[in-house]
Amino acid sequence: MARDLMFQREIQQAVRQAYGAIAGGAGEQVARRLYSDQDLSEVPAGAVEWALGVGNPVRYAMLQPGQRVLDVGSGGGIDTILAARRVGSQGEAVGLDFLEEMCARGRHHAVQADVERWTRFVQGEMEDMPLPDQSVDVVISNGVLNLSARKSRALAEIFRVLRPGGRICMADLTVEGELPPEVAGDQSAWAG
Amino acid sequence: MAERVFAGKLERAGFAGIWVGGHRPFGIDEAALYPLFTQELIEVMRRTIPAGRQGHVATGVIVKARRPG
Repeated sequence: MARDLMFQREIQQAVRQAYGAIAGGAGEQVARRLYSDQDLSEVPAGAVEWALGVGNPVRYAMLQPGQRVLDVGSGGGIDTILAARRVGSQGEAVGLDFLEEMCARGRHHAVQADVERWTRFVQGEMEDMPLPDQSVDVVISNGVLNLSARKSRALAEIFRVLRPGGRICMADLTVEGELPPEVAGDQSAWAG
Repeated sequence: MAERVFAGKLERAGFAGIWVGGHRPFGIDEAALYPLFTQELIEVMRRTIPAGRQGHVATGVIVKARRPG
């Protein structure tokens, strides 16, 4: 048990260091693979540059005006801003990220996108969210759950903050079969 | 994490109506575009993963589910 907890802390530290150290996201080249031209026209260039996701959850989330959406692991805010566009000013988009500097980038990009009145960014861990029970209609995330060393705990937190009948729409990577131990054991494989 | 493991964790967390779709291959060339994968790791992946699998080392998926009302 103690060894498992230490491993969890090591993973968490590796992810924090990796995200805190990068100078930019995957950028437009990746964003163009994942988002439509229409999507990209709705977000500031800075948010596109900081795209670090692996899919386009907003495309599948069927968001409705007036809903409250939580973007877990919001990064530079590209999905939070797209969600804010869908729910409109009668709704709310909340970005959660474990790095304050990412939250600051998200806020900056939300102002540029002119959605800041109904968009906010909160610093916190996905395994211990600073949000009330049953306060969210839809949870989205993009390449984030795999970063957690406590995935079941993170999912329990998502369940807690969703109202009954609320939905999740998550983009992530799955791996079938074994990866070579040199790859699976590399800390940046966890962070990426 | 394998797809069935992901779905199992969702089920155990209490979610219903679990749907997994939008599958798209994620290869080493795509991983190399992300700054979070170090150059060293990318080189290790190219060296240790069989050539036929390098274009599809992982799968991007969309997972949907709901909290029962």
